[in-house]
Amino acid sequence: MSERASFIAFVAAIVVQVLILVGVPARKAITLATGKSAVLKVQPVDPYSILSGYYVTLSFEISQVRTFPDAPEFSDGESCYAVIERGEDGIWKPVSLEHELPENLPENRAAVLGRVNYGRIEYGIEQFFIPETKRDAVADDLRANRDNARVEIRIDGGGHAALERLRIEDRVYE
Amino acid sequence: MAPNQNMNTKFRAALRNELPLWIREGLVSEETASNLSTTYQLGNLKEESSRLLSAVIFTIGGLLLGGGVISFVAANWDDISTPVKLTILFSALLGFHAVGYWLWRSTSWRRLGHALIFCGCLVFGANIGLVAQIFNIRGDWYGAFGAWAIGSLAVAWAIRSWIIGVLVLFTSFLWFIGFQDDHHQRAALLYPFAIAVALIPLAWIIRSRVLYAGTWLGIVIAASVIAGNHGSANQALLAMAAGGLLMWMLGQLHRAAAWRKEFSNVAAGLGLSTLAATAYIWSFHELWTNPKLRLMQSLLPLLFLALSIAATLLLFRKERQTQSWLIIGVLAAGLLLAGASLVNREIPFTIVTNLAAMILAAVLIGISLIDEQRAFFWLGSLYLVLLILSRFLEYETSLLIKSAAFLGCGVAVILAGVSYEKYLRRKIPSVADNKDKEPVYE
Repeated sequence: MSERASFIAFVAAIVVQVLILVGVPARKAITLATGKSAVLKVQPVDPYSILSGYYVTLSFEISQVRTFPDAPEFSDGESCYAVIERGEDGIWKPVSLEHELPENLPENRAAVLGRVNYGRIEYGIEQFFIPETKRDAVADDLRANRDNARVEIRIDGGGHAALERLRIEDRVYE
Repeated sequence: MAPNQNMNTKFRAALRNELPLWIREGLVSEETASNLSTTYQLGNLKEESSRLLSAVIFTIGGLLLGGGVISFVAANWDDISTPVKLTILFSALLGFHAVGYWLWRSTSWRRLGHALIFCGCLVFGANIGLVAQIFNIRGDWYGAFGAWAIGSLAVAWAIRSWIIGVLVLFTSFLWFIGFQDDHHQRAALLYPFAIAVALIPLAWIIRSRVLYAGTWLGIVIAASVIAGNHGSANQALLAMAAGGLLMWMLGQLHRAAAWRKEFSNVAAGLGLSTLAATAYIWSFHELWTNPKLRLMQSLLPLLFLALSIAATLLLFRKERQTQSWLIIGVLAAGLLLAGASLVNREIPFTIVTNLAAMILAAVLIGISLIDEQRAFFWLGSLYLVLLILSRFLEYETSLLIKSAAFLGCGVAVILAGVSYEKYLRRKIPSVADNKDKEPVYE
């Protein structure tokens, strides 16, 4: 390989690495910048498994397939769309579970893309990174105020959700 | 270089040490010694040994540097703003690669450059995790390894690096394990083909034995993981047997057809080890399970078998006669083991697997007879003894019979060893005492 060709090949390889690093958060950044805002109530958390490494583990009402009354059958690993609706208290509630992305939803509804896994649905917003110095404070706060924790999320047109912030009573963790 | 020329470092080092004595004793002339030195590139020996040492030192140094950068960032993580964090991560990545490439292009610091680029690829992997953390992304854990493998593969090809190729093999294999376990068994079937296409041509071009053998091992293990899904253990047996057979046949083909002869020993050795380990593990009667064969999971093992048979046919057209029975032996052991995965009764299954194991022991001893190498004789004998003793410990027999079996095996091995030594002395008197004889199989 000539020196020039070798240089071009190496630069192309580094561009691939940089594109991957940019690509990792790209969807999340786009969703956060352009998505529709929604607030979900955090379900009471198991006080013994709040922390998993550097992450706080969260669960929501829409995390269980059985929450949706007339949900069709889903096999493990299958994608699903949870339709949620804004309630009068500002918290979004589950409406239905669909196989396909619903179209023309009204302004007060949104569809969130998830994946069914043994009766649970994962949306990629279940874990929230907490800096080491704040970990214990957040875990204690969650344990003490289990019923007053909310997450603010953003949902893009394709149903992809991104976690924006965690709010426990009037305290905000970003 | 002549096609059969032995360029083994050990042999060349011995030759270099012997030449002055040969000249003094008048065995060779100065001119012949000089020709030998040129032909076997004896002048490069010193440089070759220091090359390996410096590569190791540079890589360790680079790893420590990379670890230092990452630890520094981690120690101050909470106090650093996101833009600064990203600037540090990208600067570390580009810094390692830029300095590494600059040194790699220079003639005198090529290995240091290579080590720094390798570290750049490690920093790239760490950066994927850190970027995901900064943006609160918690995807499937294996996704990060997939991304790491793709990014590193591009660099491995760009600078033709075997060590970055090995990194690709490891990271992609971790991705595969997570991916296939996550309801993607069908799509995971493509993985062995993907690494074959991505890494075997690279190993071929740069003549890397480690990468070549490692990739084949990755393909065979991946095939047995896919085959063994859903608890159908005998499909895993089929995959390991067919994979081991294919690797051995490929190794023989490399030697007989003189295609990248340097791959021959490592591929054949790995194939024979895979077959021997598979036969030994499955020789225990408790491991028999009712055959449950599914076409999808058997696709790769069947492909391995088809390729092995094609390789055998090619070999028979090229092989010298003394090797033919070795080929037949390994083929028989491989096919018996593969066939055992279909046997739906415990006793016939155990007989077939034990028979395959005994054939492999005979093959090992056969190699020692053809190539006059003690190591293979002892390996074969010990494998056979291990097999017999395992059977005696496995089944409930009286202590007296067990004691007789131990004594019998011990005496048999000693007698076999004595006859082998006698055989060697009779065949070539000088061979018996020649400890430095270069092995054909390493």
